[in-house]
Amino acid sequence: MGVRVKTGHTLLAATLGLGMAFGAQAGKYPDITSLPDLKINAAKAELGKRLFFDRRISGDAGIACSDCHKPENAYAHPDALSPGYPGNGHFRNSPSVINAAHKKVWMHDGRLGTNLNDVTREMLTEDYIMNMDMRIMQERAKQDPKYVQMFKDAGYGEPSNGSIRKAIPEYLKTLTSVNAPIDTGKMSASAKRGQKLFKGKAGCIQCHNGPLATDGKAYNTGVPENFDIFLDPMNHHAFIAFAMFQGIEDYMNLKRDPGYYNITMDAADTGKFVTPSLRELKYSAPYMHNGMVKSLYDVVAFYNRGGGKDSRKDSRLKPLKLGKQDIKDLVAFLESMSGDPLTSGQHVWKDPYPAEYPVIENWTQVKN
Amino acid sequence: MSNVIQTPTLLAAAITTALLAGCAGQATSESTAAPAAEKSMAAATMAMAGPAPLAPLGEPPIPPDNLQSPAKIELGKILFFDPRLGGDASTGCSTCHEPDQGWAWAEDFSRGYPGTVHWRNSQTIINSAYFPRQFWAGSASSNESQARGAARGGVAGNGEADIMEARLRVIPEYVERFREAFGTEWPIVRDAWRAIASFERTLVQRDTPLDKYLLGDKSALDAEQLKGKEIFEGKGGCIQCHNGAITSDQDFHNIGIPPNKRWEEDGLAQITFRFEQYAKGQTQEGYRKAKSDWGFYYRSKNAWDKGKFRTAPLRYLKYTAPYMHNGVFYTLEEVVDFYDRGGFDEDGRTTLFKENKSSLIKPLGLTDDEKGALVAFLESMSGEEMLMDKPAMPEYAPLFTKAELEAAQEAK
Ligand code: HEC
Ligand code: HEC
Ligand code: HEC
Ligand code: HEC
Repeated sequence: MGVRVKTGHTLLAATLGLGMAFGAQAGKYPDITSLPDLKINAAKAELGKRLFFDRRISGDAGIACSDCHKPENAYAHPDALSPGYPGNGHFRNSPSVINAAHKKVWMHDGRLGTNLNDVTREMLTEDYIMNMDMRIMQERAKQDPKYVQMFKDAGYGEPSNGSIRKAIPEYLKTLTSVNAPIDTGKMSASAKRGQKLFKGKAGCIQCHNGPLATDGKAYNTGVPENFDIFLDPMNHHAFIAFAMFQGIEDYMNLKRDPGYYNITMDAADTGKFVTPSLRELKYSAPYMHNGMVKSLYDVVAFYNRGGGKDSRKDSRLKPLKLGKQDIKDLVAFLESMSGDPLTSGQHVWKDPYPAEYPVIENWTQVKN
Repeated sequence: MSNVIQTPTLLAAAITTALLAGCAGQATSESTAAPAAEKSMAAATMAMAGPAPLAPLGEPPIPPDNLQSPAKIELGKILFFDPRLGGDASTGCSTCHEPDQGWAWAEDFSRGYPGTVHWRNSQTIINSAYFPRQFWAGSASSNESQARGAARGGVAGNGEADIMEARLRVIPEYVERFREAFGTEWPIVRDAWRAIASFERTLVQRDTPLDKYLLGDKSALDAEQLKGKEIFEGKGGCIQCHNGAITSDQDFHNIGIPPNKRWEEDGLAQITFRFEQYAKGQTQEGYRKAKSDWGFYYRSKNAWDKGKFRTAPLRYLKYTAPYMHNGVFYTLEEVVDFYDRGGFDEDGRTTLFKENKSSLIKPLGLTDDEKGALVAFLESMSGEEMLMDKPAMPEYAPLFTKAELEAAQEAK
């Protein structure tokens, strides 16, 4: 199970009122600029790539990172609720991991705020994600001559669970936006109009700002619950295990995802989720923490209505009175934050994995 | 027939989860265990009074904090057969303890959790209720703690308590059955182990030919078996360790079992072998150089315990081949030949820890007839095969209705 990390975000002061002139407001928020380059160790990243697509790093060797974070879906998953480890469901949407290396806070509820090594550990060991005893994972890697060579080439020495949790984050660093119109400047006229709305009348910039289009803070936007969490017992039992582990009281009667409440245990934070990045959305539908919104058009329509229904909904969300063309323009702008799909061999491990583990010869004579 | 147990229909479910491998204080498949203190005690008593004689099996001991009840036993039975009490809902107790494979698994190494193979032979459940030390190296002290360990071990159930508990709770029939058996509002996974232990306490066999004979039916053993009994108690020296009603002194001995060759030939088995060194708390040095199962050493950490295992009980053996902690012998004839050679297999292989080999194990000079008689006597410790049909598994069902969820949504 994951480590619960207190992220301690200060939420935007409620006084950032909608009544203010948006033009004036826009300047307060960092622009959505290009992402900084990351220094990458090629050999480590290559090793991480092989691991990311390898099902053998899950408990029953049945599921890989890439089964929930699929290259053709911007390394997210097309189901509203993520699949789970075999025998389990899940209760949240699997997010895109493109640009995850640029984040400071991870998971929809923001419960991890340290580094990708910890996120990777959570993914590997969580019962309903990969259910991996990392000692077995390490011994599996040591039994695969290709890994033995790659760990050596990467400067890690012999395979170990510690270096596995370093190599995967190194690979994640290679998954960043490439050629997004917002970065290249090749935006359509419609997208440019959308950008104005985004920063102005629509007020999106208040939360979606900076290079990732997220302020990393949590808000309640009133996204409706996904009833499939509770109507499908496989999802529900994963949810119960999660809530139990997080120490949420009365978890058997919970009928909603508590979101950020999980971190603060303050009722006022119920139903808040961390502002997601808006990059690479073109391929990562459906949207929101529980996949309840099917298309970007629907997302904009959702905001145009002033968000969803929740007594604790953030006061920044008010009906926007956007016209048809405004909506199209906003969608065009959102799409302009998506770059080329990262589906080639540069990012995807395409070689087959061995069907069996070769035997270590002369076993009684060599050191383990 | 002795103990064919009828199975009513029930539905069931359960759960598991992963081990947190990175953390300190790992759960290994061993949970608690009795220290080595009584080791010498057994020997001392024996020197003075001689080994406890073979005796008919009595009622199994029932712990005062987990009394038997029909509701508990029935629940435990369903849980025993429910693969949802394992990480990916594929591997439950009965997966490796198959009623028609002697409530064990008929290969040298037990099958493992998917993607793994085990490193020890699967033991029979029959009569496990009597053993104060469970597992080949005696690392669990009760059926309750044993079950917990079995469901969690990385190459066994690979299930974490919270997910297993959560699964039980979305199976309405279990919710009801746990309430009836334990009086709790929601199933608690610890009670699952208690129910399974109660069920296991019904899996006992007390009417073998040997029991009947010892209870006074002198016709229960034939002439050959009686001859075998004599060898067992005399020339063969078996009684020195295999004694009392449970045919085990519950002490630890190195009898010279050689390592299983499979570790030299099977990549998957090599993975598990190394993992187990970690899981059982080997030092870095031990991990590097171990080439066989160090047995009781993992618990005691005394060099003289390397290669020692719990004296295996001899009841129900007819159905539980292969034999020994690593399944190296497939027939009782091979076992007897092994003892006759003084603890060597047919290729002359023996334990890697010769210095620890029991002085009680030496060449016996048995004739073929004597060997045959000994095997016949070993077989008299097994009664009828105890078979059981798998009960129906209770099904998952949603805990809330759509209307309840809609009302909650409205109230947000
Ligand atoms: C069974 C599906 C599944 C598998 C397998 C899986 N993930 Fe995830 N991943 C998810 C879900 C669902 C979330 C969001 C969980 C939440 O918010 O509670 C997530 C979140 C993440 C995040 C955080 C993203 C963010 O922006 O907050 C990263 C990074 C990540 N996963 C990487 C990995 C890696 C690396 C692996 C393999 C070691 C992996 N995942 C395996 C389903 C999966
Ligand atoms: C008050 C802060 C806030 C404002 C203002 C805001 N958002 Fe969001 N946005 C969020 C949060 C929080 C989420 C995640 C909600 C969830 O998962 O339940 C989100 C989710 C999204 C998503 C889904 C992304 C994904 O990967 O699932 C899109 C697209 C989006 N917002 C676009 C917009 C647009 C366009 C606007 C302006 C019309 C806007 N947002 C205004 C906070 C805000
Ligand atoms: C993957 C296979 C596997 C699964 C699943 C499994 N077992 Fe076992 N069981 C074994 C093996 C192998 C041993 C011997 C292990 C050892 O000594 O280290 C064993 C030993 C035992 C013993 C000890 C018997 C004795 O004579 O001391 C009992 C009792 C037992 N198992 C019960 C259970 C129960 C109850 C479950 C379910 C919760 C279970 N097992 C699940 C393989 C399995
Ligand atoms: C020094 C004590 C000792 C003596 C003497 C001894 N045994 Fe054993 N026996 C053991 C131990 C310990 C084991 C378990 C060894 C292992 O698994 O590595 C065992 C295992 C067995 C098994 C395998 C049981 C199973 O479930 O796999 C059989 C059969 C057996 N013994 C028969 C005999 C016979 C017959 C004799 C006399 C010829 C005998 N033993 C003498 C200690 C002893």
